[in-house]
Amino acid sequence: MRSPIAYRPRRTPLAQAGAFAASVYLTSLAVVAFVCSNPIVLAGAGLGVVVAGLAAKAGRALAASARWGFSLGVFIVLVNGLVAQRGDTVIVYGLWLPLLGHTDVSAEALAEGGVLALRILVVMMAFAVHAASVDPDRVLRMLRPLARRSALTATLIARLVPLAAADYVRLGEAAALRGPAAAPVGRAALARRLVAGSLDRAVDVAATLELRGYAHGPPRSARGGPRPRYVARFIVVGIAIGALAVGARIAGVGAYDSYPTVDVATSMPTLLLAAAVPVLAGLPFATATGGWRRRG
Amino acid sequence: MAEPLIRIRGLGYRYPEAAEESLSDVDLEIEPGELIVLAGRSGSGKTTLLRACCGLVPHYHGGDVRGEIQVAGLDVREHGPAELGSVVGLVSQDPETQVVSTTVRAELELPLEMRGEAAAARSRAVEEVALALAMAQLLDRPVDILSGGELQRVALAAALVGRPHLVLLDEPTSQLDPVAGDELIGLLRRLNGEWGTAILIAEHRLERCLAACDRAIAMAGGRVAFDGAPRDHLRWALKHDPALATPGARLFDLAGLGTPPVGVKEARQALSDRGVEPLDESVPGPARNGSRRSPPSGSALDVRKAWVELDDGNTARDVLRGVHLSIARGERVALMGRNGAGKTTLLRAAAGRVDTVRGKVLAPGGCALCPQSPGDLFVRERVSDELPGETGRSALAATGLEWAMEADPRDLSGGERQRLALAIVMAGRAGQAGVPGLLCLDEPTRGLDRARKGDLAAWTAGLTARGAAVLIATHDVEFAASFAERVVLLGDGEVIADGPVTEVLSGGWYFATEIARILGAGGAILPERGAELVRERLARASGGVVAR
Repeated sequence: MRSPIAYRPRRTPLAQAGAFAASVYLTSLAVVAFVCSNPIVLAGAGLGVVVAGLAAKAGRALAASARWGFSLGVFIVLVNGLVAQRGDTVIVYGLWLPLLGHTDVSAEALAEGGVLALRILVVMMAFAVHAASVDPDRVLRMLRPLARRSALTATLIARLVPLAAADYVRLGEAAALRGPAAAPVGRAALARRLVAGSLDRAVDVAATLELRGYAHGPPRSARGGPRPRYVARFIVVGIAIGALAVGARIAGVGAYDSYPTVDVATSMPTLLLAAAVPVLAGLPFATATGGWRRRG
Repeated sequence: MAEPLIRIRGLGYRYPEAAEESLSDVDLEIEPGELIVLAGRSGSGKTTLLRACCGLVPHYHGGDVRGEIQVAGLDVREHGPAELGSVVGLVSQDPETQVVSTTVRAELELPLEMRGEAAAARSRAVEEVALALAMAQLLDRPVDILSGGELQRVALAAALVGRPHLVLLDEPTSQLDPVAGDELIGLLRRLNGEWGTAILIAEHRLERCLAACDRAIAMAGGRVAFDGAPRDHLRWALKHDPALATPGARLFDLAGLGTPPVGVKEARQALSDRGVEPLDESVPGPARNGSRRSPPSGSALDVRKAWVELDDGNTARDVLRGVHLSIARGERVALMGRNGAGKTTLLRAAAGRVDTVRGKVLAPGGCALCPQSPGDLFVRERVSDELPGETGRSALAATGLEWAMEADPRDLSGGERQRLALAIVMAGRAGQAGVPGLLCLDEPTRGLDRARKGDLAAWTAGLTARGAAVLIATHDVEFAASFAERVVLLGDGEVIADGPVTEVLSGGWYFATEIARILGAGGAILPERGAELVRERLARASGGVVAR
């Protein structure tokens, strides 16, 4: 059984754009989630990732990451609601909880948690599409000139997600084999084991990479292989999305504040920004025809 | 005289936070072109020594090093695996961490590409190594759908493809079928002979490789306990640690024949010189301890014309093809067959982890399956947290681990971890007799020395005496002969042989014990029974009385 976010070769424009262009493009969508906090803009970024994922035929990866992101998001909203004692609109007074004692829950704290959850969801979906669509071998080659002296850095960047995805499947399979009287494997225990195990395995893989000569001799990339198509359009769109988000942030477009009361800016520039992200995200796919072009 | 490839003087090494040294006062020299087997019980320091020879110790594992270790003139304390990588290839025990690419072809091309080899040279080298290891059909498969044995072969090919001066192998045959295991040893011998590649193999199944080696080194408690010729190793092992002797050497020792033979050919010649010719007959197996007296009635596993299809992400293929199989409660069955034959899939189907597309798989009394990597079952820091409550304690008691309630699973030894994994999969699945209807184990002997394999065989015999059926997928013929009363041989997803162990492991080239091959007899013969037969023949030849 393979993980839904495991890489599979696909004949889609994103897969054929090469590791660098695909990384720039998908990272730009994550950048929107990092620099903008307006829920409408975040929703636009999420829609952009969905457009990219569906066009890249990575629907399973999108769905899986959305499930995980949603679960994590609910947890974040609840924790923030209980821990952040700010906000004017208190909806639960004096709730008593162990360790926390008497606590108030405000609509603003829940909304702040919701924004954080939305950000994480967008980033997780973008990385899931990346993991499913971009060949990790090409990512590794791409990183070699940049991280030649550190196979571990390269492994963590290029292989951690695929390793974690493979481990998730294996650990899930092992969890299903436990007897009914063994302690059930909760999500927290599985996540802890997954993170620790994936990091351990990443170190082992990095060691293998070192032994295979990763740091030996001059950096080289695959030569004579097929040259990616659509490089320019994905890079241009990626840069455009990133620049738009950073520019909007500097210009104060799409301002948002959860405290003291929830205030979502719904001005025209904000709505335009939110609409522009998915439209731009879909552009590189609009005129693509598929196929590879041989190098000279 | 040429410089030694490896020079070790007074090497001591302690892992971070370990109480004791894993290597102590090791002195060793390895010359270019030597083929050496590294023997030793589990935990004796073999793996650590291999890691030190390629720089992973101390550069990746940390810890304290004392003494001196040089590989190809490079001081390992100053030069890490990256610098040693051009002269040393390593194949470690766990093939899953040895594969860094997405497809097999990319994996094999990677080390050559890193060196800047031209595309044509890369393609030729990949083709050659794939043909040599009989894995050409795997080249375009994604690595994440390969079986453990296939992964081990890929890791081996990736280590060999760059033709390093020294190849370090940590139990390279543990997940290979007998044919692939023998072919691997032949290939290593050829590489060693034709290319002068020095080879250091850590191995528990010495009968596989000792005859091909120039030298044997035995480790015990982190020290070199023996270093010398293979025949001298056998003499030493018979005297100091019989678990490190081959079945052939034990046969000669038990039969009082003197000098232990190194390999089947030499053993046959020695017997022939004494008037014992190949038996050319089938030998019934001995009565075994733990055999059930009155077999409990009822079926433990009923597989009816089962077809299982698995999707590798690109295409679906039939992994099981019309398997028909029935196992009764109380039976001990070895499931054998070449890598990729469908053994793991059959076990997963028995445990209800894969669905059939046609046919049925029924395990009426329930099925507990212990996976290939027992560590995957451990998610908590205390044994008692893995198995809480009275039922959990009962499961621990059943595997003899009550004492380890407060221990961290990661601190247990290999054998104890395996027993804990068995306790976890069986917990709450015990029926009236306190055991599940069927217990399946997938390659449980990986990394176990002969003594621990014996413990495992005895423990499973105890389970079957209480009414459980035990089905073990294994490539280890000697273990199958000692554990099983029946063998099911899978080939390309079909049952191609199913019968008593004495019939299936009888007269074959590969699926036969070393003693059966030495005596030229049919039957799953182990050293004790073989010695009886030899004594009978010798007595008959001299007209004497047989002493049992």
